[in-house]
Amino acid sequence: MKKRALHYLILVALVVVVNFFIPRLLPGSPIGTLVGENAQDMTAAEKMGVLDAYHLNDPLPLQFAYYLRDLFTLNWGVSFSRRLPITQLISSAAGWTLLFTCVSLVLYTLIGTLLGALSALRRRRGRDLPLVLGTTLAGSIPPFWIALLLLAVFGAQLGWLPTYGAYSMWQDYHGLARALDVCRHLALPVLAMVVTSVLRYFTTARYSVLSTMCADYVRMARLRGVPQGRVTLFYVLRNALIPVFTMVMMDVGYLLSGSVLIEAVFSYPGLGTLMANAVSARDYPLIQYSFLLSSLLTIAALFLADLLYRRVDPAMEVDHA
Amino acid sequence: MRNKLVGGIGAGLLLLVVLTAVFAPVLAPFDPSAVSAAPLLPPGGGHLLGTNDIGQDIFSELLHGARSSLLVGGLSAAISLTLALAVGMLSGWFAGTWLDRLLMKLTAFFLTLPFIPAVIVLAAFSGAGTAGMAVILGVLSWPETARVLRAQTIQIRARDYLQSIRAMGAGDWYILTRHVLRELLPLVLYQAVLRVKSGILMESSMSFLGLGTPLVKSWGSMIFYAQSRNALITGAWVWWVIPPGLCICLVCLALMMISYSLEGGGEEGSA
Repeated sequence: MKKRALHYLILVALVVVVNFFIPRLLPGSPIGTLVGENAQDMTAAEKMGVLDAYHLNDPLPLQFAYYLRDLFTLNWGVSFSRRLPITQLISSAAGWTLLFTCVSLVLYTLIGTLLGALSALRRRRGRDLPLVLGTTLAGSIPPFWIALLLLAVFGAQLGWLPTYGAYSMWQDYHGLARALDVCRHLALPVLAMVVTSVLRYFTTARYSVLSTMCADYVRMARLRGVPQGRVTLFYVLRNALIPVFTMVMMDVGYLLSGSVLIEAVFSYPGLGTLMANAVSARDYPLIQYSFLLSSLLTIAALFLADLLYRRVDPAMEVDHA
Repeated sequence: MRNKLVGGIGAGLLLLVVLTAVFAPVLAPFDPSAVSAAPLLPPGGGHLLGTNDIGQDIFSELLHGARSSLLVGGLSAAISLTLALAVGMLSGWFAGTWLDRLLMKLTAFFLTLPFIPAVIVLAAFSGAGTAGMAVILGVLSWPETARVLRAQTIQIRARDYLQSIRAMGAGDWYILTRHVLRELLPLVLYQAVLRVKSGILMESSMSFLGLGTPLVKSWGSMIFYAQSRNALITGAWVWWVIPPGLCICLVCLALMMISYSLEGGGEEGSA
């Protein structure tokens, strides 16, 4: 267990180092990336002042020391496009992203697995083709595009669901009304995410159920006269779901990546929208630290998944790093 | 039989798109970067798919857009596969040694980076253009393939004939390039198709965010401009947002069909 914890600590350290070097190794003037377009109106002395304030005139090891100190004291600098401390922007965004990604993960895992198992059980009767075809089609759709279409049809044309943000800004809802309002805002982004992610679970569940169905112990159970429904439920599905569970654990790492574009389309106030807006405003510090937080959250999620996994399947091979 | 049919249809579709991309200047009725009519014309008349907000012909944009999508998709897949092959083969061949452990730590690190945020941060800071985007996508997308190739290399290493060649004194480099690479080829091909697909999806996603070179026509940047000019509210999205998205879907579907047939139908004979 200690070894695994060490592994994740090393990953965190690497991410922190990479985050330090990204702005320093890639081309582009540091003044431009720190203050944006304000740089044009600055005098040489003011520019030196900015460089001094960020310790950019010091030798590299000293810069790294300052960077570490600021990192741990949560002094991550100021976003020049939003004129707010980066930590404040990021922490309020992270909550919305977690809500969005967790709801999506639960839904597309359930739906994908259910459809996959269903299509495997129906395979003999040749009725699985529409399901296979449909999910394959859904898997080749760019997520941001389906998000735009959903927004245009259900939001703009029909007006059924809100198209913007995570809650109604001009209403003061409380309690149940607020929960309902948040759910209505989640509906379209989650739908976009589910449609484009269902394929992976569909394929895994289908394949896994198919191969369990012809395992010897299942055949034996049938020969012994165990009722068909009981075989399907307790002999096939129960064991076929282990690979699906593995996949959920691995997927935790991709969650923060897949949500970026969909959030951006709906201006959902999470990390994705923050990053997308920072890109169009050329707000480099904000881009950089959103990346840092996404990476740290991903590592934390993987660590949790790792811990959980041992509980669920003790027979699982330990060394998969 | 069903496999070959699916693969054939996929390959045909892909060939069609590649040909339109190559011959885009000949096929396109208008210069995609020239103003050729009134803005926001609906489809019809001389303009098959109407015009965009500054009066450029959308059909011509679409034909030219295929070029950067395929270029970035192909180039990033080539870079990603080269890296994956190098890491996967070395790590698998020398499994258990310090080299293997080092390479696998590196792979694990790249796998933990959240992919899209990482691409965004690199593309934004380096100001990458079309080629730069392909390099970034390639450099960030090799780890999964490397793991698959490593596992396969370990299996190949145990084959009898390789053991006997080794016993006869064949060097590592000789065996890796002459024999292991050849045995890995079907798997590499399959992975290549998947990489091209994800490269094309990522290129369109990034140009949709306004990264890359906004002046180069691509399917993603068309959707980017459509969204920023409020096409979703005005109704112009029907001819401005749908066609480029359908093109991306078409290419991805074609690639998935090819990968399906390469995989041998995936589950044939298992039930």
